[in-house]
Amino acid sequence: MRWALGPRGLRARIVLAFAVGTLLVSAVLVGTTFFTARSYLLDQRERSATRQAFTDANLLRSRLSTSGTAVGDALGELVPSGGSDVVVRSHGAWYSSGLDVGGKDVPAALRHLVGSGSAGTVRESSAVGPRMVVGIPLSSAHLEFYEISPLVELQMQLHTLAAVLGAGALAATAAGAGFGIWASRRVVHPLEQVASAATRIAAGELTTRLASTDDPDLLAIVGSFNTMVDALAARIDRDARFVGDVSHELRSPLTSLITSVEVMGARREELSSRGRQALTLVEGQLARFRTTLDDLLELARLDNARADETPPAVSLGALAREVLVASGRPADLLRSDDDGRTTVHGEKNRLERAVRNLLDNADRHAGGACCVRVERRDAAVLLIVDDAGPGVAPPDRERIFERFTRGPEAARGSLSGAGLGLAIVAETAARLGGAAWCAASPCGGARMTVSLPVARS
Amino acid sequence: MAPRLLIVEDDDHIRTSLRWAMEDEGYAVDEAASGEAACRAVDADPPDLMLVDLMLGRMDGFGVIRAVRRGHDLPIVVVSARSDTHDIVAALEAGADDYVTKPFQVKEITARLRALRRRVGAGTAPANDGQPAETVLDRDPAAPLVLREGRGTVHRGPRQLPLTVTEFRLLCELAASPGRVLSRQELLERVWQHGFFGDERIVDVHVRRLRTKVEQDPGAPRIVVTVRGLGYRLDPQ
Repeated sequence: MRWALGPRGLRARIVLAFAVGTLLVSAVLVGTTFFTARSYLLDQRERSATRQAFTDANLLRSRLSTSGTAVGDALGELVPSGGSDVVVRSHGAWYSSGLDVGGKDVPAALRHLVGSGSAGTVRESSAVGPRMVVGIPLSSAHLEFYEISPLVELQMQLHTLAAVLGAGALAATAAGAGFGIWASRRVVHPLEQVASAATRIAAGELTTRLASTDDPDLLAIVGSFNTMVDALAARIDRDARFVGDVSHELRSPLTSLITSVEVMGARREELSSRGRQALTLVEGQLARFRTTLDDLLELARLDNARADETPPAVSLGALAREVLVASGRPADLLRSDDDGRTTVHGEKNRLERAVRNLLDNADRHAGGACCVRVERRDAAVLLIVDDAGPGVAPPDRERIFERFTRGPEAARGSLSGAGLGLAIVAETAARLGGAAWCAASPCGGARMTVSLPVARS
Repeated sequence: MAPRLLIVEDDDHIRTSLRWAMEDEGYAVDEAASGEAACRAVDADPPDLMLVDLMLGRMDGFGVIRAVRRGHDLPIVVVSARSDTHDIVAALEAGADDYVTKPFQVKEITARLRALRRRVGAGTAPANDGQPAETVLDRDPAAPLVLREGRGTVHRGPRQLPLTVTEFRLLCELAASPGRVLSRQELLERVWQHGFFGDERIVDVHVRRLRTKVEQDPGAPRIVVTVRGLGYRLDPQ
């Protein structure tokens, strides 16, 4: 039974518990009621049958003693009530008030009891239904008097009673289940409120709180839930502030470094040849440092960004063209649908970073993109970057979009990034309601695809 | 004569390296290490251009910009370590003309300053026949709005409006093709010389600022109108 109960929901379990509980209670009640009523009714019947038998036996004895009539005649005058039959044994011969009864209907045990001089009662079932036999010895008249009373009517009553009680028990069980449904709704309702509040909070509505309640049982849950959300909001706030502080702390020295190195760059001719080489190295590393810091800050921003107003509309085709030109790549790499058909919602600088990261990624791992396409497909605009490099093995195709995932050893070196580029692509796309994925390219290498929902006009 | 640039920055290293770089670019550089010092320097002898860091000490960059804007129309470029949307919009609304975020490259700043300097030059170019050209933008008989591009002035009735050079340039660009919609991108290229990746919010904030000065009811603009999804248009009244 345990395995069957295990996977059920809270609600189903509550309903089941109520139904089973009601069923047990009503079964006990019904059983007790039935058996008490049955024994009471049988008792009553037995008493009345016994009383009737004694009355009839006395009547018979008085007739036999006064007029000296034969047993058979006296028995014929006797009219037992309630469908009973009287059987009399006199001097070894059997007489009966009805044609269909006789000595054979008297149980042997009773006959034995009466024969020994005691009165007795026996309940037995027969071909015509249950019946009760009362035996009385009339020693003064040398008779054994038996009265056979049918119990069919009583049995019918008991059947009806059992049916009514059974129906009552079933109705109570159904009512219990119904009450269980109601109670489970009542119990689950606060949980559903908590769940919907948690969903809203997960979606970024950090101002969501549970409404205060008077229910002392829910007070603790509501209180601790709201405290948890407060703590969470404070934590997120602190993290965001931390990112802001760190960004400021890192950006300020980086700014003076970049500016100073540029001043040095303007005086390149004044340096020795070794000094110029060192300056070139510093410039390269500084650029890489700046890219990594920008990537980190961008990811932190994506983590902390809240659902703001819809970003402006921009043509992804035009944007890709501008990125190609701005990064010194040939613009004819791009095949794009009409600019008006490739409009998406997104901040230009964020989309630019995503597109640039895809192109840089192709440079790093495949010696450059062989084809960039921007096309409208139904309600989405696709940006597809194909390369002719070694491609990405199917098991790695999801992993490469995770943070700090870097390419194979062979591709590492001076060109290597921090493994944040594709993570930014994927997270930027996700933030704008789109997605990014990797597949095999017809050019032989990898095909990176970014899909963004088309802008509402 | 070398244009005079005031650098307002509380970080000594950035200020010093920026000074070297800007002197290399041919600017005469003054420095201010705090908001209060910057305000004193501007009051004593206004520079031609300003570079203002937003995160200063007690008086922050927004305060400096607001204080300077009370009496001066000189171009102000904000330098910010924050790329947060609200800070940048707040700085532009306080009166900044453009912004760069740290870490920047010197050529980004010089490009911004050059674009802003160009506007000053264009604004003071003499009219061809000695008679300054007038464009009436609002024929309201009580208080007509008159743009004199050659002189670099805008009058509402007898009163000269205190437009910054950038606002003035924006108005001139819009007035140059009345009734035609100019996209944010076009305005950004013409007024600020930004490329494709420029921030179009700069245009929106400047249009908002311009309206508070030229419109009779800035809440219901009739001269500089927004064309939803396309850009802005100047409708002479």
